[in-house]
Amino acid sequence: MAGRTYPAVTFEIEPERAAAFALAIGADPAAGVPPTFAAVYSLGATAPQLFGDEDAAIDFAKLLHAEQEFQWSRHPEPGEKVTSQGRVASDINRRGMRFVSFETETKDARGHDVCRSRALFVIRS
Amino acid sequence: MSERTVTFTKDQIATYADASGDHNPIHLDDDFARSVGLPGLIAHGMLQMGIAGTVAAEAAGGVARLRRLQCRFAATVVPGDTVSFTAKPAGPGTLQLSAVNQRGEPVLTKAAAEYG
Repeated sequence: MAGRTYPAVTFEIEPERAAAFALAIGADPAAGVPPTFAAVYSLGATAPQLFGDEDAAIDFAKLLHAEQEFQWSRHPEPGEKVTSQGRVASDINRRGMRFVSFETETKDARGHDVCRSRALFVIRS
Repeated sequence: MSERTVTFTKDQIATYADASGDHNPIHLDDDFARSVGLPGLIAHGMLQMGIAGTVAAEAAGGVARLRRLQCRFAATVVPGDTVSFTAKPAGPGTLQLSAVNQRGEPVLTKAAAEYG
């Protein structure tokens, strides 16, 4: 699966949704879109394509989120539309477990970089 | 140093599931979680990282200054666990993050942030 790229997905950062997310993690909604709202606008927008990919054959019930990294060029504003593309960076089996590294690139409406992320998923056998 | 101590609850985990859109039943349903070998329902790793990120943003002087955030989800967090999250300066523009439960076990490792 390594190298597989999925179609870009556009996500509108609704101010109410970003505020509800801030409250859910104990952050001040007035402090801006929470950094890890990227788990929604980048990873959450794209990872379902991987999980739903029959070729990838990922057993969701055995999936663990093992590592996560985000890098921001800037943080998006409430109300902004961003577009994210996901890619399988690596897919290896080791000691009976499968390790899938999934990377995303998120850009703003002008095509400028917003966020890059890398998730490591472990699928237990 | 910025810090926050959080005792996790089922309600809080369910609220995060709604807010994030991650409704994986391992976070919502004890019976399902046990059926896949977990002790019961567990908190989202991203809920822990969200709290760590909030503490990191405070230490960095605001969300807008945060450039990078990373962690490994090293141990499960279940309702009733109390986790202390801290962000400490570790060099120019760098923060070392930690999240330790009530037994002194790190639940996040390789946790760091950069800002500027």
